[in-house]
Amino acid sequence: MLRGELGEAKQFAMEIVSKVGDAVGADELVPIKSAHVLAHYSSLHDAGVEVLEHFANSGGRFAVPTSVDPASIDLQNWKTFGIPEDYARQQFRLCDAYAKMGGMRCWTCAQYQVCNFPKEGDVVAWAESSAVVFANSVLGSRSNKITAGMDIACAILGLTPRFGMLLDENRQARVVFELDLKGITDLDYRSIGFFIGRNAEARVPSIVGLPSPVTSDQIKHLGAGAAAAGPVTMIHFPGITLGSKTVADATGGEKVEEIEITRSSLGDVEFDLNQTSEFPDLVAFGVPHLSVNELGELARLIDGRKLKKGVKMYAYTSSQAYDMAERTGISATIERTGARITHSTDAEISPLKALGFNTVLTNSAKLAEIVSSEGEIRVGYASQKEIVEKVTS
Amino acid sequence: MKPWLRRGKGLIMGSARGEALVSLRAFTFAHGVDPSTGVVTDVRSDVRGMNVKGKILFYPFGKGSTTASSWFLETVRLGNNPAAVVTEAVDLSAVIGSVMARIVYGKVIPVMSEIPHTDYVGLKSGDKIFLDAERDEVRAEG
Repeated sequence: MLRGELGEAKQFAMEIVSKVGDAVGADELVPIKSAHVLAHYSSLHDAGVEVLEHFANSGGRFAVPTSVDPASIDLQNWKTFGIPEDYARQQFRLCDAYAKMGGMRCWTCAQYQVCNFPKEGDVVAWAESSAVVFANSVLGSRSNKITAGMDIACAILGLTPRFGMLLDENRQARVVFELDLKGITDLDYRSIGFFIGRNAEARVPSIVGLPSPVTSDQIKHLGAGAAAAGPVTMIHFPGITLGSKTVADATGGEKVEEIEITRSSLGDVEFDLNQTSEFPDLVAFGVPHLSVNELGELARLIDGRKLKKGVKMYAYTSSQAYDMAERTGISATIERTGARITHSTDAEISPLKALGFNTVLTNSAKLAEIVSSEGEIRVGYASQKEIVEKVTS
Repeated sequence: MKPWLRRGKGLIMGSARGEALVSLRAFTFAHGVDPSTGVVTDVRSDVRGMNVKGKILFYPFGKGSTTASSWFLETVRLGNNPAAVVTEAVDLSAVIGSVMARIVYGKVIPVMSEIPHTDYVGLKSGDKIFLDAERDEVRAEG
């Protein structure tokens, strides 16, 4: 393959995948059942546009069902959000390259809730740190945290190197987090995740003491917080995670460090992430994307209220959930308050500064982490209920 | 005093010489390094405000977004990349970023792992470092 008899894109892909495989000591390349890739301008930059277009223009076609993370703009309504034309043009170059390679037009970071459904035991090659946690912890499929460039290469080959989280011996829990908490809020799930990401280091964690039942949305946000704060790619939820009925299954019966999570641990996370109590000019919900259930919860919470002057409220979601919210009246309820639902994009990868936002308020630990990392926008971190009370009347 | 020398595991081959930039916390290029300057912007980084350009960059492990390798590659495109990367646990984004840098822009950026961050304590940012990934070795130079 390396000599190019399969065409330039496949050769380029094989060069990337085999060099990465060699670097990490993979013994072979194995087939994947699906891929999830990245094609948003804010993070791929001009280098990423060059790479993606090279793949697409030299014959690259996805060998397996492939979904994609959100774009840097709302692909349908971008003009009404004030996105500059030249910025949109760069994003559409990526969209065109992605479409040319045959990807599903499913631009979301919660693909496992709407369009990409691997089964137990399936090997996949997914980008999107929060989705990798979900795949390994809830779906029972296996994925390494495939990063930009390699993601497209794996999708084109339908192969990924066998190493890391594909191997049984690397999937055992090496640290257990014990919750000692009552009355867990939406914010707490995110903060618990962030605390785990901060303290697990490079070990696979397990968690005990979560209320039961826990929803896929709650796990989605917990996993996203963990992946934002550290290198976490899997969390054992005893009773949910494949092969881990109990915490002893998760650890393989081995004695591992136990770390308690108390109200005071979460207070520390909130103190770290909540960097301003200023009145925001943007409220952002949905990093990762809200499900239609979560849009419904938001609608019930803000029904009959009005957004105060000087603040915008965006709820970020997948195109599928957006359509369903339109059909069920959820959108109408949310938009009557002055808030908007936006799809196929997400807050952390959209040009917030260029759109004139200086202070963002969110209940997403992942968004709070990322926005403050770039250091240009001040960020507040609070529960959805507190936020709604602050910015509506 | 004995010179600082550690053996780890060479992942991306090559050698590099440069000043150390030592972080003891989880590190990411995604949203955390400005590719147009090489300056670390991440407020949670202990090397915020420092520049990765031409440095031997040490950090224990990665964190966050899978876009990190494209942020890494953009620093390469703009000539603001580190000279080499040393970690404790394999950070796939550094490995992939370096592989892409070699193929797309012809730049060799060696990557090593398996050097525990507790060992970075003998180093400080600015120390002169020589790294030889082929020999699995990184050392401080006089």
